[in-house]
Amino acid sequence: MSVRVEFLGIPRLRAGVGSVNVEAKTLGDAIEQLRQMLPDFANDCLEDGQLRRGVLANINGTMFTTEVRMPLRSGDTLMILSADAGG
Amino acid sequence: MTAASDARTPGYHGRYLCIDLSRQQCEQRAIPPDVLRQFIGGSGLGTWLLLQECPDAVDPLASEAPLLFVFSPLVGSPLTTSAKFAVMAKSPLTGRINDSLSSSHFAIAGKKTGYDAIMVVGKAASPCCLLITPDGVSFEDAVDLWGQPGPATEDRLRQRFGSGYRYTTIGPAGENLVRYATASHAGRHAGRGGLGAVMGAKHLKAVGVAGDRLAAPAHPDELIRYARDLSRRSLGPATAKYRELGTVSNLLTFNRLGSLPTRNFQQSSFDGTEQLAPETSPDTPPRTRSSCAACTIGCEHIFHRPGKSGVRMEYENLFALGPLCGISDPDVVLEASALCDEFGLDTISAGGTIAFAMECAERGLINAPDLRFGNGQALLSMLGQIARREGLGNLLAEGSRCAAEQIGQGAPDFAPHVKGLEIPGYEPRALQTMALGFAVGTRGADHNRSGAYQVDFSDQVDRFDPGSDAIPHAIATENEAALMDSLILCKFLRGVFDDRLAAMAQMLHLVTGWDVDAAELTRTAERIITAKKWFNIRQGWTPAEDTLPRRFLTQPLSDGPGQGATLPEETLRKQIECYNRARRWTPDGWVPQSLLVDFGLMESSDVTAS
Repeated sequence: MSVRVEFLGIPRLRAGVGSVNVEAKTLGDAIEQLRQMLPDFANDCLEDGQLRRGVLANINGTMFTTEVRMPLRSGDTLMILSADAGG
Repeated sequence: MTAASDARTPGYHGRYLCIDLSRQQCEQRAIPPDVLRQFIGGSGLGTWLLLQECPDAVDPLASEAPLLFVFSPLVGSPLTTSAKFAVMAKSPLTGRINDSLSSSHFAIAGKKTGYDAIMVVGKAASPCCLLITPDGVSFEDAVDLWGQPGPATEDRLRQRFGSGYRYTTIGPAGENLVRYATASHAGRHAGRGGLGAVMGAKHLKAVGVAGDRLAAPAHPDELIRYARDLSRRSLGPATAKYRELGTVSNLLTFNRLGSLPTRNFQQSSFDGTEQLAPETSPDTPPRTRSSCAACTIGCEHIFHRPGKSGVRMEYENLFALGPLCGISDPDVVLEASALCDEFGLDTISAGGTIAFAMECAERGLINAPDLRFGNGQALLSMLGQIARREGLGNLLAEGSRCAAEQIGQGAPDFAPHVKGLEIPGYEPRALQTMALGFAVGTRGADHNRSGAYQVDFSDQVDRFDPGSDAIPHAIATENEAALMDSLILCKFLRGVFDDRLAAMAQMLHLVTGWDVDAAELTRTAERIITAKKWFNIRQGWTPAEDTLPRRFLTQPLSDGPGQGATLPEETLRKQIECYNRARRWTPDGWVPQSLLVDFGLMESSDVTAS
């Protein structure tokens, strides 16, 4: 279940990369792998196995979610971004 | 001056100053304490003042049209981000209410003049500068400054009158009555709706304020403790985006989500984004950070160019002068932003109107061979033509709505505005709760008076088909904005608060002593928004204005994750009806007299049978 994770905003800054690939069946799986791969990102953007307040996930550019049980399919693109879109 | 009542509510002076430029006279007028509690300050108090002082159906550029600088109870307090002021008038761009906010030392010094608001009417015989202190008003000649950019004007005034005053100025665009000219202070702008043109029409080049009058808070010790804690929290992760990246970081995100208006809203993503975005572009110049007075967030990112002045970049000028015009060269966008600062042009309306003209030119509706998407030199040249009202610039200085009406041939279908105000950088078809916010906005298409994009950027709704579930969320963001714009606090603080209404009630209590709660604040927000609508109705509003240009209602998104998404006119109309009902207005948006009476906007004795 290969999922491409793209980082935008503060998550991108903390991750230090624009994207990574993970093997994940759910958002929670992806978060756990990111926690292990990217400690700076995990420190600032994750809390108790979830996305920290102010950080949001989006699947394939359409659906926003913070639900860790949200299923992912192989080939999905998971975006992790700053939730506040004020400009 | 004539005397006014000296009744004081903590945090307020309880009066406003009226200056008549034609007669070179001024007068103090009292503001009743119950009005202060009902409208707070800033945008709310300014709305009440416009309802009292602005003649119905007045030409916004006429001598008798009032211009307001409005402060708030929080200005001058130790609360972070509270150094803000509202500039208000009937907009020459929309013909509707306009409240633009700006920041920093002008707000603090303005309130220290001893007034909660300053109103200017009349027209000076020749260009002038007002100097306002607690001791009086002086009318200074500014003929030699006419034609100068805003920043240079501030420098010259400081040389002439010393450093004690803080100034709001206009540039050449305001002098030439460009309908989206800004009023500027220290590089920041009351940007939207053409308030610079209102100043220009009055021959008012600058307003200088200085003083020492304090409006003491009710609970100073608690306020200091609260402010200290708020400042600490404002340095946390909730504001990291603004502090570390600035709003320009929206560009990559919006592009990826297909909500980045591109080439006059013909596309929702831009192939040149990687070149423009500071996070990905190898050509991004070095930057430093800055902040408004009394702000701990520091969201301003100043980009430095060799041999030129630094440029403050925000998402809105990046989008409007970049993708919206098909420009991917960061140097061009920086130069265009610098020119807008110098001329005193609203970047959103300037970019929107030029992008519209580029599409007209590409479609052969106007004869402008160089005006093409992606032509940076044409963009830069047109900004100057607009500011000077030369050639085609004279037409575009009227804004996209007026220009489209004159061009005809179907051009109004794709003129990117609501009520005449150009649409900011949120693609309505990809953010359909925001589309509703744009359509019903009393100021026109506006991302500062409605924060409905927050709903679209959440798991609360499907942003391509939000349905009626989105209405209460959209209203809540509009109410919240009305309160923050009246207190006045920076919206970038939003993420800091666990309970925003409770926090705002607490701050207002500490400053004024009022025992306000969330319920009262919600009613206050509803009153302010209804008062704005009532002002618009008195100025000629009709339900037909609450819509989007036909492009958005007839053409599906052409690209991005939302490719094919539509926003049918009937869907938007039903959303608007639901919104109006939730506001206790009629389904098509008129305000019942009973509601005006309920909110204190009409005397019950004035209710008519019709």
